[in-house]
Amino acid sequence: MSSQTIEFFTHSYLKRFALPLSMIALAVLATILQPAFLAPKNLQDIFTQAAPLGIVVLGQAFVVLVRGLDLSVASLMATVAVIATAFNATSNAAIPVIFAVAIGFSALVGFTNGILVTKRNVSPFLATLAMMIVLQGLRFYYTQGAPAGSLPDGFRFLGTGRIGGIPVGLIGFLCLFTLLGWLLHKSEFGRKVYITGGNPISATLCGINSDRIIILCYVICSVMSGIAGLFLVGFVGTVDNWVGRGYELDSIVAVVIGGIALSGGVGTIWGAALGALILVLLFNIVIILGLPVQAQLIIKGVIIIFAAAMFVRVQKV
Amino acid sequence: MLELTGITKTFPGVNALDRVDFEAQSGEIHALLGENGAGKSTLIKVLAGAYIPDEGTIRYDGIERHWASPRAAKDAGIYVIYQELVLFPELSVAENIFLGRAPKTRFGAIDYGKMHSSASEVLNRLGHNLDPRTLVHRLSLADQQMVEIAKSLVDDTKLLVLDEPTALISGRETELLFECINNMRMSGVCIIYISHRLEEIFELADRVTVLKDGQKVDTRPVSELNRELLISLMVGRELDDIYPEKTLPPKEPAPVLSVRDLKAPPTVKNVSFDLHAGEIVGMAGLVGAGRSDMAHAIFGSLPRIDGAVTLSGETFNTPTPRMAINRGLGFLTEDRKGQGLLMLLDMASNVSAPVLREFTNAFGIDRQFEIQAAKDEIERFRIAIPSATSDVVHLSGGNQQKILFARWSRACHRVLILDEPTRGVDVGAKVEIYEIIKKLADEGVGILVISSELPEIIGLCTRVLVMREGLISGEVTGSQISETTIMRLATTSVAA
Repeated sequence: MSSQTIEFFTHSYLKRFALPLSMIALAVLATILQPAFLAPKNLQDIFTQAAPLGIVVLGQAFVVLVRGLDLSVASLMATVAVIATAFNATSNAAIPVIFAVAIGFSALVGFTNGILVTKRNVSPFLATLAMMIVLQGLRFYYTQGAPAGSLPDGFRFLGTGRIGGIPVGLIGFLCLFTLLGWLLHKSEFGRKVYITGGNPISATLCGINSDRIIILCYVICSVMSGIAGLFLVGFVGTVDNWVGRGYELDSIVAVVIGGIALSGGVGTIWGAALGALILVLLFNIVIILGLPVQAQLIIKGVIIIFAAAMFVRVQKV
Repeated sequence: MLELTGITKTFPGVNALDRVDFEAQSGEIHALLGENGAGKSTLIKVLAGAYIPDEGTIRYDGIERHWASPRAAKDAGIYVIYQELVLFPELSVAENIFLGRAPKTRFGAIDYGKMHSSASEVLNRLGHNLDPRTLVHRLSLADQQMVEIAKSLVDDTKLLVLDEPTALISGRETELLFECINNMRMSGVCIIYISHRLEEIFELADRVTVLKDGQKVDTRPVSELNRELLISLMVGRELDDIYPEKTLPPKEPAPVLSVRDLKAPPTVKNVSFDLHAGEIVGMAGLVGAGRSDMAHAIFGSLPRIDGAVTLSGETFNTPTPRMAINRGLGFLTEDRKGQGLLMLLDMASNVSAPVLREFTNAFGIDRQFEIQAAKDEIERFRIAIPSATSDVVHLSGGNQQKILFARWSRACHRVLILDEPTRGVDVGAKVEIYEIIKKLADEGVGILVISSELPEIIGLCTRVLVMREGLISGEVTGSQISETTIMRLATTSVAA
């Protein structure tokens, strides 16, 4: 492949619109296969399902942009869910307290991940894998394998409620999307994320404390996972030890689909969001076609291979 | 033994070798000399089959050769020991020596007994006792070099090339190495020896070939040469009028940058100097003299164990690049691509990177302001780029370098350290960069130019500091600045 063709793929309109186009193509395909796809109930399901994953993916995007990876997101979601129910609160007045504790705990987890990766030079894979296991252990130790506890009624609103017909989860996602979009694409911090992810040595020589930027990215990712955990536990209503199971890989797949380079420094918040949406669409198509759930795994795997192959090609420029 | 005739090798934009003849005999130590970039490594790579010459013939062992690969040259008995050793640190001495050709037992397993005894035997031939079972990473650098040479002996080497073998070792270790090289000469091996240290040439070599700008200057027996003659062979060249006129700035009493007893081991042993506003000071020295590390230690990107850096009267002890930048000290590194440009970002972001705060308001980065600033820089430095939001990847080296000048001159107004500012740019861009440097100095910026190209230092600077082995070995000013004076300071051992 000549370098000019490669450039066409990386810089042309084709590339810029590849994600929205493939999403629309998927939606059209789904409608043709099963007209019920467009039913309001199904669309609501898709968004309700996409919201928590989408929130995690936004966080994961920050970590991947600085050449990292966070495998602890799903385990953190479940742990936050356990923490939320551990209050056994019945009054809605407890909700802000639950939020504060959950988010504070998540931030601490992210901070630890970040310190391990930057100050101790542990590979992101190992650091966050270890964190995943530690969180799982803590959770199981506390619940003794049988989680109990309850949530104030107001919590259910997070997962199942609607404002003006729009799922609360979706509204939450859109707020976070706007906030993080500003942070990544408009703020000084966001620019430093791209500089650090693109060339850590240059970043240091430009006076950027790249360790601090990387640590903050891990904190953002964990806080997003914590928030997603709260939404998900609100959706399910009861806690179990595996809230958010599989989200660690799903979020990385979504990030890759969204065109965020695992080698860092390339990708947008739009890409992350569309990546999450495309993944959920694919899962939904599997379900409405009545295919076995296992087909989701096959699709996931194929997508990773496809996205990775495309990605490597672009990297050769 | 070896005869190269009319070797020419061209890389895009550079004539690395221009009709070079070279000849070496068995049982001879033939030194290859020249400044950085004179074409020594290219010549070595041609004779070892790593490069295919554009023109010219290679006769080796009486036959004309067209090496298909380095492997082919190696099989014919040509062995090159490069500056960076290529041993496997986690394997033993014997395993490294016999890598890929270990003696086998009847059952196909490696015969360690035999391997260890053969390794000992080879090492003994070198007059060196090493336990072949030792893991290589436990050895000193000199011992590792012996292992490399032992590898070459197993190969039945007829021609051995040593590229700056003493760059990393010293004293007693050097003596051992010389002894071993002499033993090999005695047994009829042809040795090509590259070194910057002239003392070594006089101690070891039989003949010397000097290269300059890709051409052969001369080949002479060492007995006909002395130090001065050799240096003049290496440098003899006039300056072109590509450099701006030198003017001495009005000397202010206090230096803008003052460095005292800077120590950042192992490369920077002790450096002190002053730099005044508007001055262009050169920092000369051979590759490996510690100049770049010194710059990093001043800038705060390399830890220093001791020393004071004072910028406009303010001393900072625990430096970081951020502190240096905020106080007006900028550093343009030698590695434009790896440590300079942000290849994934556009031109405007490349310029604003060290001073993002200046472009940030309550709503975030003011993109319009950033792009306008970049446009100003494009005009000021006449950068050939489609727009301020274009990529920087595809630009020529000269334009990329100008972007870095835009970045650092915008961010830092007091001192700029320029490490190899014209590396890899064509002559036209060089002239423009010299003009930029001169202009910045005239605006009052103190400039330290680190360069391995002596003509550049001589043409630009009003004062030249020479560094050797981590120390400032001398300073030349005004009319005393010449290649001869600088080379003498750069190559004379400080201890001697």
